[in-house]
Amino acid sequence: MVRNKRVGTKASVLAAAAALLLTACGGAGVDAEASATPSDDAAVACGSYAIAMHAWVGYTASAQVITEVAKANGCDISQVTLAEAGVTYDAMESGSVDLVVEDWGGGRWQEWADRGALVEIGDNGNIGIIGMYVPQWMADEYPDITDSANLNKYADLFKNDESKGKGAWYEGPPGYTTIGEKLVSANDLNFTVLPQGSEAALIDVFTKAAENKTAAIGYWWTPQNFLAKVPMARVNFPTNDWTDAEKASGLTDYPELPLIKLATPKAMESGDAFSMIIKNFKWTNDDQNEVAADIESGTDPAVAAQKWIDANAETVAGWLK
Amino acid sequence: MSVRAEPAIATAPKTIRRSWLLAGLIFIWISLAQFLRGKATLELPVPEDSVFTAWVGEVADSIRGNRKDGLAFKYFFDPIREFVDGFVTIMREFIAIPNGSSSIPVLGWLGVISVIGFVVFAVSNFRMAFAAITLTFACGALGLWTDSMDTLAMTFAAVILSLAIGIPIGIWAGLSDRVLKAVTPILDLAQILPTLVYLAPLALFFLIGPASATIATMVYSIPIAVRLTAFGIRGVPTSPVEAGTSMGTTKRQLLQKVQLPMSSRTIIMGVNQTVMAALSFVVIAALIGAPGLGKPVIDALIIRNVGDGFVAGIAVVLLAIMLDRSTSAAITKTDTFVPPSPADRKRRRLALLVAGIVSITGIVLSRQLAWAAFFPKQIDISAQVADASDASVTWVTENLELLTTGFSKAITVGVLNPLEGVLANSPWYLTILMIALISLILGGVRSAIVSATLLLAVVATGLWYDTMMTFTQTIVATFLTMIVGVVLGVWIGRSTRAERALRPILDAGQTLPAFVYLIPMLGFFGPSRFTAIATGIVYSIPIVVKIVGQGIRDVPVNMVEAATVTGSTKWQLITKVQLPAAKKSLLLATNQGLIFVLAVVVIGGFVGGGGLGYLVLLGSSKPELQGKGLAAGVCILLLGVMIDRIAQYAVARNSAPKH
Repeated sequence: MVRNKRVGTKASVLAAAAALLLTACGGAGVDAEASATPSDDAAVACGSYAIAMHAWVGYTASAQVITEVAKANGCDISQVTLAEAGVTYDAMESGSVDLVVEDWGGGRWQEWADRGALVEIGDNGNIGIIGMYVPQWMADEYPDITDSANLNKYADLFKNDESKGKGAWYEGPPGYTTIGEKLVSANDLNFTVLPQGSEAALIDVFTKAAENKTAAIGYWWTPQNFLAKVPMARVNFPTNDWTDAEKASGLTDYPELPLIKLATPKAMESGDAFSMIIKNFKWTNDDQNEVAADIESGTDPAVAAQKWIDANAETVAGWLK
Repeated sequence: MSVRAEPAIATAPKTIRRSWLLAGLIFIWISLAQFLRGKATLELPVPEDSVFTAWVGEVADSIRGNRKDGLAFKYFFDPIREFVDGFVTIMREFIAIPNGSSSIPVLGWLGVISVIGFVVFAVSNFRMAFAAITLTFACGALGLWTDSMDTLAMTFAAVILSLAIGIPIGIWAGLSDRVLKAVTPILDLAQILPTLVYLAPLALFFLIGPASATIATMVYSIPIAVRLTAFGIRGVPTSPVEAGTSMGTTKRQLLQKVQLPMSSRTIIMGVNQTVMAALSFVVIAALIGAPGLGKPVIDALIIRNVGDGFVAGIAVVLLAIMLDRSTSAAITKTDTFVPPSPADRKRRRLALLVAGIVSITGIVLSRQLAWAAFFPKQIDISAQVADASDASVTWVTENLELLTTGFSKAITVGVLNPLEGVLANSPWYLTILMIALISLILGGVRSAIVSATLLLAVVATGLWYDTMMTFTQTIVATFLTMIVGVVLGVWIGRSTRAERALRPILDAGQTLPAFVYLIPMLGFFGPSRFTAIATGIVYSIPIVVKIVGQGIRDVPVNMVEAATVTGSTKWQLITKVQLPAAKKSLLLATNQGLIFVLAVVVIGGFVGGGGLGYLVLLGSSKPELQGKGLAAGVCILLLGVMIDRIAQYAVARNSAPKH
């Protein structure tokens, strides 16, 4: 019983504390200080939005530039890290994310668009080029390796413990557009497609292949400034007419992909500064690589983005019209 | 464990016969597998669907198609989602995100620390409060104040909702045998189910965002609250209950005045376990949109940033230690039976008053002054910590490469590939037959029937080959875990000093999210199945060591003394007396090891582990393969139940009295 009584006093003390706490919540003095900051000066009214963040640096560069421009125009922006494609589309449907800056999904979002969860708002200006790459040293040593017809000749070089007696073919992460199995079977390649769960796994493969001069063939893409750090050569597969889905069924190389922006109808219908910026945002692969390189070398993404914005004031002004 | 005399001797002949039988069976299996290699393996190329997975995909599509105006969504899922979302937002606005039109949360960092300090002081003592404050502050010093607060808010939201559901069910199950019987299988299932499995189905119904993440966390933590509450109520000695009944108290009074107070210790332990379970979920919850410390860990995994991932992982561990110690301090506090003297109580009340004033000052300051509202940017050691962990991983990768690659190669070529050859690359009917026969020997007829049925169900899903890949990795990882776990477990079981030295490491190992060491493992071993295995081993060693250690410690002293007197060497003592006597613990440890390994091996899909885990990831990001991902989740579940059942039957068989 004594114990119960003690619990009782404790509870009453806690209750008293809570009551005091609530009275202390009268007004936050910090807000008075915060409202003096310049970011609130912008006259344009703008809502609060969440931008989906995907973990590759190029994406971060694009998203960060939009974030900074939107903030400067009075928008309240938060960033939400998510896996790409399906997960992100679901997040848009639930309203927890409003914008995807760079979508590689090639129309996988159609079903969500039909339901009114999201809308396509045009190209972002970047062109995605996916392909199969080998480390530069291999291209130097075996110049004909970059032609897919010669891959089988070198298949033995790529063998390892994981690849079941054939060459090891490191496939792209699950969220990315991949046609490895089709490429291998259509071109009769003596390779085993090894599914990789993350970009990290591929970076590991290519970094080690360059450092230790080991053989490796794997999925990679541009814009992505990893290529600047670890030089690699693209293996060319027979070209193909991608306008015809039937003929294109995995026979040949990855197509060039104009990368697109997706947004929620809510964001687009608002007509505020944010909707203007995201509708008009467009830049080149070089622009993206410039910002991405800064971020990768350790600059804070916000600072790197601001640097580019300052240097390209005219382009940015164009997005606001 | 009850005291059993000379168990080793009594069961010896039977055990020997059984192990010969097993060895013979495995020999036949290997020979047949060699002979039938590559036949009827049911391998399904990654981009292709089976009949079952295509059907699951269609079902998922129709569910998603209903999201907009389906009645179930309108009146059931959406309201739940909105309620949970609202609740989480309130919690977050309190400590993590700007509150309404304000630019800060209700409490700035100084306010949060003040409240934590006061609450911990009120439920335990000054030393604990100081430790809690230091640990929370350290999260800020790692540059992760907001993320840490988000995690804390999410954890509290999930815990409050879990307890609100779990404790009443637990009380009910504690009072009624029928309810207990009904909920037990569900509780068992929830504990076997690897966390990765239920993310995708939940996202289907609750979409992506904090609500889904919280609900997923609750699925994981409610069973723990239910189990411990029921256990607590049932643990109340019968005499006070009978005394109460004979005095004519009503059922309600009995519960309020006798059963609940007397089981409060176990229930608080349940709160502690629920908190830890919720916290251990933060990283994986980030995959479906949970804000907080999981984000930087996943980011780091995706772009292979060992340092940043570790910094965030350390913050998770700091929060875990803080919450664990504070809640367990509350347990020990309720344990003191000596009533405090009036003077003590007066002093205590005065101290509480002072602490209250100090913390209210902190709260007010944190709402008035910027330095107390925003965590000071000057205090940031994240770069140093990141660099240090980067440097150590690089050092190991560069200098111990021969060791790491040598070991991984030895295991891959020597164990993994041959075993995969037997399990996955031989005909499916052979594998099922042999597993059924082995479980017949280990666990009896029922276990054989159960495992054969579950495996046939796997065949029906069309994902047999991938399931066997995952099964192989699970077995290899558990095997290696048991070797290390038994050695360390015997060590801590025999020496208190070893126990004390290893305990903190084991505790940290259990709370550090597996994702955090997935990245250095990738650095050590490259993208491969072994990386998945190594991660599973690291994750499950602590639990195995703890169970084995406990088992060794529980061996009756007289048995050990008898052996020592008759002149057994230390080695004989361990192998002939202590290990056989702790057999039940060893089996239990194997069971837990398998379940823990399975949960993590599937995460290995991120780093080249392949198998079911990869399919789950694939399904969640490629809408056209979502059926395959969901079906892979079902297979993981079937595999988990099978492993668990065989082990449970084996435990039951080995602990039944034999004479």
